[in-house]
Amino acid sequence: MADLGALFLQGSAVLGFIAVSAMYLVWLERKVSAVIQNRMGPMIVGWHGSLQTVADVVKLLLKENIVPTGVDKLAWWLAPFFVMVPPVMAFLCIPFGQKLIVNDLNVGILYIASVTSVCVLGIFMAGWGSNNKYSLLGGMRSAAQIISYEVPLLLSITLVVMHTGTLSMQGIVAAQAHGWFILKPGLALAFLVYLISATAEVNRVPFDIPEAESELGAGYHTEYTGMKFAIFFLSEYTNVFIVSSVAATLFLGGWQGPFLPPLVWFLLKVYGIIFFLMWVRWTLPRVRMDQMMAFAWKFLTPLALLNILVSGWALVK
Amino acid sequence: MFQKIKFFYLSIISILIGMRVTLKNMFVPRITLNYPIKKQSMKKKHRGMVDLIPPDCVICYQCIKICPVAALDLAHKQEVAADGKKVKEITKFTFNGELCCFCGLCEEICPTDAIYLSQMYEVSVFSHEDVLNIDLMDPKKYAHIDSAYSTPEKKPNKN
Repeated sequence: MADLGALFLQGSAVLGFIAVSAMYLVWLERKVSAVIQNRMGPMIVGWHGSLQTVADVVKLLLKENIVPTGVDKLAWWLAPFFVMVPPVMAFLCIPFGQKLIVNDLNVGILYIASVTSVCVLGIFMAGWGSNNKYSLLGGMRSAAQIISYEVPLLLSITLVVMHTGTLSMQGIVAAQAHGWFILKPGLALAFLVYLISATAEVNRVPFDIPEAESELGAGYHTEYTGMKFAIFFLSEYTNVFIVSSVAATLFLGGWQGPFLPPLVWFLLKVYGIIFFLMWVRWTLPRVRMDQMMAFAWKFLTPLALLNILVSGWALVK
Repeated sequence: MFQKIKFFYLSIISILIGMRVTLKNMFVPRITLNYPIKKQSMKKKHRGMVDLIPPDCVICYQCIKICPVAALDLAHKQEVAADGKKVKEITKFTFNGELCCFCGLCEEICPTDAIYLSQMYEVSVFSHEDVLNIDLMDPKKYAHIDSAYSTPEKKPNKN
């Protein structure tokens, strides 16, 4: 019974953290875009508009839930759950600190990579179920994109695993006690490859062709309204948090750092990476579909493979 | 091959240049204002809503005659005071904001600088009647737009 209570507490802590974090990431995104474009951004609700997202969430909850005609009911209703559950599951082995981890699985990073790749299923279901050609196009693009960029992403993670010899997240953090992995040349390249593929993985600009506003409306979530749309949004920002925290754990030493408590160090690194992703988003234009696929298969994957070859040779030498 | 390498190199350089531009813009002062709370001050010669300083008006009817759209409406009565002098008094001076074309002719023609175009640029109102008959004699005539605004003692210097 005590175990069940602890499980319940951990679960609610994770869910609460996800909700609050995603809410403030939306606010941060709007503020960063405003700062880059010399605007003010949200300013009215709360201090510098910090409660703007709360107001938006209330609005989305109160909105009518429209079901378009001819939707594939099962796929259409299940899709938001399929995109929301994997990122929540991935929180199981994100190390926020020495003890602040729900469960340190011995296959931690493999678990995160495999669970988050289920997301594409939900996105494709949303595209298929919506009975809308733009949604279908968005879903198909998303499937192609995420499957292509999974390869360099996993190859760059493989390099880290080769260095540490463990798949456990805490083990990877412990292996960086005497220097972050980003400081080693081969792993720095892996970090770059990881960051580029992670940007594509979470469908952000410059790789946001699944939801390209100007050509597809909003892609796979065009037909969704109210809370279902909010769930898609929530999952998107939770995914951003997941890929950033994996990057921080794998390459930037995780929660380790002097003076400040581990949790603060971890969140600083994660939000630093998120800020970088936002900065890139509001700077670069969207790439074309064929350019993007060519970049994944003709450049990023060979680069990651070559990196593994060279670094692996250096490891066993 | 060389062309491809050059193209790749130039692409990376251009991305970095773009990132530098946006980074620079993060530390530039904001261009937009937090509008309903902070308002932009207009140029001195801005032609906004018509305002009147009643004590300065000599009831010469010049503004009524020159107004191309007949947006102003003036009426007065004449009384003989105790010492035999004739005293004119305005009974009605209204301004129709719907007709006004903000040409500024009334301001130009006015011999005593009593009527002028203020800096008031927020001209939207909730009801149609609010804009039709604005009583120019009332110092708080624009209270429904800006509660802080009141007619000054003297026409502001526009040069």
